[in-house]
Amino acid sequence: MIKRKLILSQVRRVPMLSSTVQEGLRLLRDPQMDMGSLAQALQHDPGITANILRLVNTPYFGSVNRVNNLRDAVVRLGAKRVSHLLLTVAVTPRISGELAGYDQAPCTLLEQSLSIALAAELTAAELCITAPPHTFTAGLLANIGKIVINQFLHGEYDQVNSQVEQENLSFEAAERNVLGVDHPEIGAELLTFWNLPEDLVRVVRHFRAPDNCPEHDLTLDLVHVGSIVACMTGIGQGVDGMQYRISEAVVLRLGLDESMVQNVMVKLVDHVEKLKEVLPKCGK
Amino acid sequence: MKISVGISDMRVTKQSGVILVTHSLGSCLGLAAYDPLSKVAGLIHCLLPKPSGNKKAAENPAMCVSTGVPAMIREMFTLGAQRRNLVLKAAGCSRMVNVLNQFNTGLRNQEILLALLEHNGLQLAAGDLGGNIPRTMYLHVDTGLVLIRSKRKEREL
Repeated sequence: MIKRKLILSQVRRVPMLSSTVQEGLRLLRDPQMDMGSLAQALQHDPGITANILRLVNTPYFGSVNRVNNLRDAVVRLGAKRVSHLLLTVAVTPRISGELAGYDQAPCTLLEQSLSIALAAELTAAELCITAPPHTFTAGLLANIGKIVINQFLHGEYDQVNSQVEQENLSFEAAERNVLGVDHPEIGAELLTFWNLPEDLVRVVRHFRAPDNCPEHDLTLDLVHVGSIVACMTGIGQGVDGMQYRISEAVVLRLGLDESMVQNVMVKLVDHVEKLKEVLPKCGK
Repeated sequence: MKISVGISDMRVTKQSGVILVTHSLGSCLGLAAYDPLSKVAGLIHCLLPKPSGNKKAAENPAMCVSTGVPAMIREMFTLGAQRRNLVLKAAGCSRMVNVLNQFNTGLRNQEILLALLEHNGLQLAAGDLGGNIPRTMYLHVDTGLVLIRSKRKEREL
């Protein structure tokens, strides 16, 4: 299919994450990591360190006492969690632009992505389970494939929409039928291109239809539910709206009930507003 | 001049030239209320059907249909709106392609609204409720015109 190949080739045109970020991620993956090397690598982009610390000092990342430097952040949260904050800071500008194909104004994809990430974490909290450390980042990256699909969807939207409406398909299934590829798959290919860890790639590939994932994955379950709750609140919504399916298996596995879902919705609306204030400002 | 009504928020006004707008109606309810004689307008965006013991919902009536809609209409009365003149239009209450009970907030919002209106002898002049689609709702204070933007198109309700 020509469209599929063309769209997949566009993944490689997306700029790589900066060498500063890549080096920081590499160092944070090293169990023998030297803090001095990390600080030195990141100082080439002072905004990154400042933004990581701003995130570390928000309630959602578990910091009770103020953290003033990267060393304390790593000691407090662990290297893995700090690496995901680094990734969060690096990715935020990539998901802040306008997506005309999805009818999403500037910043709305960011808001939507934050909502998915937060809703995934809040779902874990509501269930009294510990979310794996990469859950927030996986949620934030879930919709990143939209930045590539966007340019192709603009011209093909009417076909995608008619399939959703007339055949009662989910939006990503209709994308796949019309374009040969859907935004979750493209997102997974993009993360692979960026050399990101497989545990993130798997979640992004399967978050719309988690029953297709060969193995059970708690982060995938949480991000799937997070994406549904985000749809329900409508935060950052595009033309895809709520045209997605919920996995009953995931809901049963997690043991969710209606009041838990409503509690997550209430907290989500509140938390998104607070977190947006901490992240680098959007163009507006 | 556009005034944005956020999630779990409401605005009541009779200020000329204002357009009240609320974005991102997913499973939420958007209700526009208007008195064409006194030109009092109200727009509310309710996240949930009922407080159900939720502390934040108790603090903020606009969060829920069962508490927010009566509060908005009462506030409109204080600005001169009269019950017999009210024109009510609703939008939102969407749901996923497959519906599970745990995630059926949209339908619950709709049910509570309709029960509330029936109980108070009121009815909707128009509605665009349900389905799976996203909606943005505009209420023009000068005319009472209600527009719904959905899937790149705008239409009058």
